[in-house]
Amino acid sequence: MSRQKLKRLGLDLPLLPTSTVGSFPKTPELAAARTKYARKQITKRELEALEKKATEFWIRTQEEIGLDVLVDGEQYRGDMVAHFAEIMAGFQTGGLVRSYGNRYYHKPVIVGEVKWPGPMTVSWWQWTQALTDKPVKGMLTGPYTVMDWSFNDYYPDRKSACLALAREIRKEVEALIEAGAKIIQIDEPAISVRQEEFPFAIEAMHLTVDGLPAYFITHACYGAFETIYPDMLDLPVDNLDLAISNSALDLLKIFEKDPFTKDLSLGVLDVHSHRIEAPAEIGARIMRGVRVLPPDRIWVDPDCGLKTRTVEESRGKLEAMLVAVRRIREDLALTP
Amino acid sequence: MELILTTAGSYPRIGDAPELQRHRQAYAQRERGEIGEEAFRKVEDEATAEAIREQIEAGIDLVTDGQIRWYDPYSHLARGLEGIEINGLLRLFDTNCYFRQPVVKGRVRRKGPILLREYEFARSVSSRPVKPVLTGPYTLARGSILGGGYGSVRALASAYTEVLAEEVSGLSRAGAPLIQLDEPAILHHPEDLNLLEEALVVLARARGTARLALHTSFGDVAPLYRDLQALPVDVLGLDFTYSPKLPALIADAGSQKVLALGVIDARNTKLETAERVFPILDTVLPALKASQAYLTPSCGLEFLPRDRARQKLETLKRLRDEYLGGRS
Repeated sequence: MSRQKLKRLGLDLPLLPTSTVGSFPKTPELAAARTKYARKQITKRELEALEKKATEFWIRTQEEIGLDVLVDGEQYRGDMVAHFAEIMAGFQTGGLVRSYGNRYYHKPVIVGEVKWPGPMTVSWWQWTQALTDKPVKGMLTGPYTVMDWSFNDYYPDRKSACLALAREIRKEVEALIEAGAKIIQIDEPAISVRQEEFPFAIEAMHLTVDGLPAYFITHACYGAFETIYPDMLDLPVDNLDLAISNSALDLLKIFEKDPFTKDLSLGVLDVHSHRIEAPAEIGARIMRGVRVLPPDRIWVDPDCGLKTRTVEESRGKLEAMLVAVRRIREDLALTP
Repeated sequence: MELILTTAGSYPRIGDAPELQRHRQAYAQRERGEIGEEAFRKVEDEATAEAIREQIEAGIDLVTDGQIRWYDPYSHLARGLEGIEINGLLRLFDTNCYFRQPVVKGRVRRKGPILLREYEFARSVSSRPVKPVLTGPYTLARGSILGGGYGSVRALASAYTEVLAEEVSGLSRAGAPLIQLDEPAILHHPEDLNLLEEALVVLARARGTARLALHTSFGDVAPLYRDLQALPVDVLGLDFTYSPKLPALIADAGSQKVLALGVIDARNTKLETAERVFPILDTVLPALKASQAYLTPSCGLEFLPRDRARQKLETLKRLRDEYLGGRS
């Protein structure tokens, strides 16, 4: 099982390792600075200094809360696809399209051969990892999602665009590993949108990670489970991160029919609600997983990135999550 | 063969140039309470007139109002009904867009005509005929949270059908030549075909002198194509971007109905070429019984940036003209 893989990688994590999905809210100081930067009132260097300050704030906060596997909080990122599209060759910033209501965004356009431009996330990862003794996850967006959330003017079809992206994103995975990253999360929130394309989404993940020595996690989005289980077990990663906080999904019933073969990250906090869940409520969500899988294969985290919550809400929610996890760890230690 | 150009629904409401951002600014001003409903409606009127003008300039024969006033395909209609509240955001099929989900709380009833005023305005600013577009009752029911005494998708679809029949009848009396019903949800629930048929039977009775078009998108229509041929509508709108097998299937099965061929991908920026589109037309057109067909984008154009939406329509026109020119 993957516990052995973690050990081989030199990672000794407690039972029910706790982590987060990736993003934390921008600190108020950084949010103000980003607006100023957009208006060209401060320099790139001034902005970067504040991004680092905010990243350090989140590392300390995660340590204080007691999380086991940390993230850099994505203080320097806007959108999870546009961030990479802006750096990689082959993309152009597209025109505005509406997402809902009065919200618009610049959807990237693939206009030429996509190319890895050299390390994109490595220096941030190194800088962040140097701040802490806890492992920090490398964070990437997967090839299928980058393809699905971009227009494609260049490749003949969606599949060839996706596979081309996979070959380039693999180079970033290699660079992260070379720099020392042991846990790498490759997010694929779009992976369940077109079931008929799932085979090449899996092929793309093979191209991205096969043979590379790291513990891989993939975060999918709410609804993915119902749509593509058990096919999603074919994703060549160690850990699937699934939102269960808002779903009445009967894991037991699903796993009885098709046994879950990977480690499971249980997304137990509802990141779209302001409410701080009670530890008992969170504990009950964790137990839904613990009842159906050996506890040494379960991780615990929120159901998505926390960037839409406030700093205080994020902290409150995660503290409650840790209270719940510690109680269950104690209970599990007592029961032989 | 007469090939009529039409759009399939939405049109981008803003563009990248500062002068094309008026609608977005006004929307924000209204949210901040800086302008009232009436001032905002005037901006919507202007944006609608612009969307229609762009379609006509691009050469479209049968235009839509661009659905500029629609928050999304569900809540716009639901807001015009009693017994429904509007809930949180949900992803719209396989797109990057979100819609607000209707939650049924009580008896579903129309507060009054929902689309009539919008249709009449669009017609008043258009030199070409205007096609009203409605989300169909089955898709509306599938996308709603059941309640208010409606215990099944069938019961709710039937309630939506009643109110939409009044809409269809009103639009027809106001002179709409063709009314488009969007029913993308059926592609994901083929087992519900009988529910869709029950709804369409009622709507077909209400259509008066207007013709009814059923449009499906956001999925592969090929597996359902033969079944859709049996439904009581006059025109079938088909998205050709999902299935490479669809043209051959139509060549084989033929069509008793007028088809609207969605050969322009409204979800991707890449512009279509003759090499891509002509083989589809060569395969499909000889199999059609009718002497006319519509050419259309695969779905509403709002998924594209404004300038590219316009280029897609210009491409559609150019390809139609070249195709007919090469064959006369």
